[in-house]
Amino acid sequence: MPRYRRWTAGIAALTAFGLLVTACTGKSSSSSATPHAGGTLTLGGVGDIDFMDPTAGYNTDTHTEERAWTRQLFSYPASKDAKTVSTPVGDVASEVPTEANGGITDGGNTYTIHLRGDVMWNSSPARAVTAADFVRSFKRMCNPVAPVGATSYFTTTIKGMAAYCRAESKIPGTATAMANYINGNEIAGVSAPDAKTIVFHLTHSTSDFLDIIAEPFASAVPVEYLKYVPNSPEFDAHLLSDGPYQISKYTPGTQIVLDRNPAWKASSDPIRKAYVDKIIINQGQTPQAVQQQIQAGTTDMGWDVVVPTPDIPGLTGDPNLSVNSSGAVSYAVFNQQSPNQNAAMKNPKVRQALEYAIDKTAIAQALGGSKIATPASQILTPIDIGYKPFSTYPTPGDKGDPQKAKQLLAAAGYPNGLTLKVLFPNTSQSPKIAELMQADLEAAGVKVQLISATQTDFTVRYISDPVSGQRGLWDIALLYWVPDWFGINGRSVLQPMTDGTNYGPNSVDYGDYNSPITNGLVQQALALPSSQADKVAELWHQVSVQTMADAALIPLATVDVPLYTSSRLMNAVYLPINENFDITNVWLKNG
Amino acid sequence: MTLTPPATVEAAAVRVEPAAADTIEGRSPWQLAFVRLRHDRVAVGSSAVICIIVLLAVFAPVVAHLLGHGPNQQFRTTGLSAEGIPVGPGSTFLFGTDDLGRDVLVRVLYGARISLLVGVVASGLAVVLGVIIGLAAGYFSGAVDTVLSRFMDVVLSLPYLIFAIALVSLLGPSLMVSVAVIAFFSWASVGRIVRGQVLSIKEKEFVEAARSVGAGHLRIMFVDILPNVLAPTIVYATMLIPLSIVFESTLSFLGIGVLPPTATWGNMLSESIAYYRVAWWFVAFPGLALLITTMAFNLLGDCVRDAFDPRGNRLFVAVED
Repeated sequence: MPRYRRWTAGIAALTAFGLLVTACTGKSSSSSATPHAGGTLTLGGVGDIDFMDPTAGYNTDTHTEERAWTRQLFSYPASKDAKTVSTPVGDVASEVPTEANGGITDGGNTYTIHLRGDVMWNSSPARAVTAADFVRSFKRMCNPVAPVGATSYFTTTIKGMAAYCRAESKIPGTATAMANYINGNEIAGVSAPDAKTIVFHLTHSTSDFLDIIAEPFASAVPVEYLKYVPNSPEFDAHLLSDGPYQISKYTPGTQIVLDRNPAWKASSDPIRKAYVDKIIINQGQTPQAVQQQIQAGTTDMGWDVVVPTPDIPGLTGDPNLSVNSSGAVSYAVFNQQSPNQNAAMKNPKVRQALEYAIDKTAIAQALGGSKIATPASQILTPIDIGYKPFSTYPTPGDKGDPQKAKQLLAAAGYPNGLTLKVLFPNTSQSPKIAELMQADLEAAGVKVQLISATQTDFTVRYISDPVSGQRGLWDIALLYWVPDWFGINGRSVLQPMTDGTNYGPNSVDYGDYNSPITNGLVQQALALPSSQADKVAELWHQVSVQTMADAALIPLATVDVPLYTSSRLMNAVYLPINENFDITNVWLKNG
Repeated sequence: MTLTPPATVEAAAVRVEPAAADTIEGRSPWQLAFVRLRHDRVAVGSSAVICIIVLLAVFAPVVAHLLGHGPNQQFRTTGLSAEGIPVGPGSTFLFGTDDLGRDVLVRVLYGARISLLVGVVASGLAVVLGVIIGLAAGYFSGAVDTVLSRFMDVVLSLPYLIFAIALVSLLGPSLMVSVAVIAFFSWASVGRIVRGQVLSIKEKEFVEAARSVGAGHLRIMFVDILPNVLAPTIVYATMLIPLSIVFESTLSFLGIGVLPPTATWGNMLSESIAYYRVAWWFVAFPGLALLITTMAFNLLGDCVRDAFDPRGNRLFVAVED
């Protein structure tokens, strides 16, 4: 599913899998110095979190701060090794289930997970996190007020989850009604035979179930949360922590302050070292101001911002700058529902012609140049499963071939070109990309009408509303995709983008691409267990090839994440899932 | 201010040049204002600057042709570094380039066209609307005045940016929407001024005289009263033009004004914000253009106001010259 980072300046791409962690960083030597505890870590940012409720939070910046005070069954360890950082390990779970240790049985259809006994809530008095807290997490996911943002991950994999969710989403949005439903109904595929064991029964074996339940949406939920309406001010005021920090102050849009959770034990947490005593997130600033503060040493790192693109060349060689891969892709999707120009977007020949028109090198240059961005020829990036380099619509130097595009358009029945509406959000780099695409398409004989929208309008009024697509309010939309996880992540990249069978409100197959061939390949890939990872990878590659053959979208550029830290910040290890450093493992040199 | 007692102004003129001629030459307030403006160096200077800006805007296509750089033409190789940073001022690009490798000089000139167009058209619309509604409110009084005045109060009380954002969300951003939004939020100020003047003027004897000989409402409003409220209206209109230009720039800056790639100063400033540390020219030239234009119009507006003010200090200085 797409997650949003408030991109305000730079974004970029990766050239090889080996570059996963940092393309350039001068801090590796200092990171090996002896860490010590103490000090206050200060982060600077622009906006606020989307939800304080972990079930509903779906921004990378939200997940960055949630890592400090929430815990999941499994999570990703901070590591500079590409494979390690994308492989879930036990967090509250005492070990990763396998067929060998009896955790995965029934041909991959049943997962039995054992919990540590020493993970504690900061309740009064402190008490242990139990399997019931995780069962409650799943039972709360489809509440009618602030549901999980990626319901399909769970409804398509856990037995009985779809039916449970359908009913739960229809109950009244009061705390009592929700509590009664959650306490009075069970999900067929989720149970807690004892306080330290949770069992999942799946609809079919799948290779990515641990990744799905490692998402922060599946954090443990204490029973106290049922007293409040999700995402209400009362809820936000009664948050409990089972992580190393707890929220001591939250002023929306201004500041979040976290201090140490006295109930947390270092021995209970294999992935969080929690060196700093306090974490302050200052909001409401500009990316340029945050960058200046970090360079001045008054802020340690960015929160929802990256290094502004124009500042990157001047920081070349600076040990505090790192360029990190994110698996993020900037792309344009065709609205195949649009009736405009005799339903031109439904015609694969027209879409294929337009694939040739775009100068992707110029787009990568606008996004920060070759150190940051790379022209893309498919939606998968080198850190996604199934990635193999190929190009269905090659052009010299990726600079586009307007003449070829013109010829193909003529062959497709548009010898005099056509007029198309290009929709883009008026934030971040999108207006710039839209203007570049406009110039390229016009060189190919396509007259472009730019449609600018605020981020909210872009999502709610246009791309997530099929009626807008069917009315032809847009023909091409500019989008940006960040996978929810890495490794075996086809479900979080290609499946939702190509899932024409579920086209409708809030579908992220925004253009209604619906190919029986692709759908078949996706279903095959999702049904294979993790033991057949090679076959899974090959199937996702085939999905990627078929998607490009059908010209469902135009991949524009893969983009990396340039981050900057203060000189005193040590052990800044990048977490791709959060597109930021792991704040629970950094330490301060003079802290 | 008032234009109705011409005797006062004439008396002042008589008093300062008693021996200038054997016969006393009567001058209308308009003639007096023009004479004062002509002798006001600030007025002459700001008028000259405005004329130059208008000429540059009119001949922007000629400049673009001579330079060989279209306003939306992207020079992706020569106008940008490999990292996408704009190129600074030089022999090829006199004002440097922007973040898409476009010539900043050409875009600043084309931006002047939008700014002047929006400034003049939006102000013109606001003045026409404000005069008509202000005249009606002041002349008819009573219930009409109450309704129209409260409507003006409502318009003046609206948070214009929030309203503009909502309207643009509904209609989509465009030049016409920008002009309409600016005119809508500007007419009420004109209306209030006109209403106040009309309330006073309609009680004068010449209005009574017109009514007594059977003149209709429309004739009294537009033939007898309107000429007497034109001077303050013109003064306010000159002040309104720079306000409209800044308003348009604000809308464009926020991404809800004129759509890219059309060059406007607001759009350019918005695009340049991320580059101010590495490409000063990108923010400086459109910013300077906006500053100079609005300052010229504001100074001219001040001078026009002074010129029409019979009690102003410049009255005697100008006439003595």
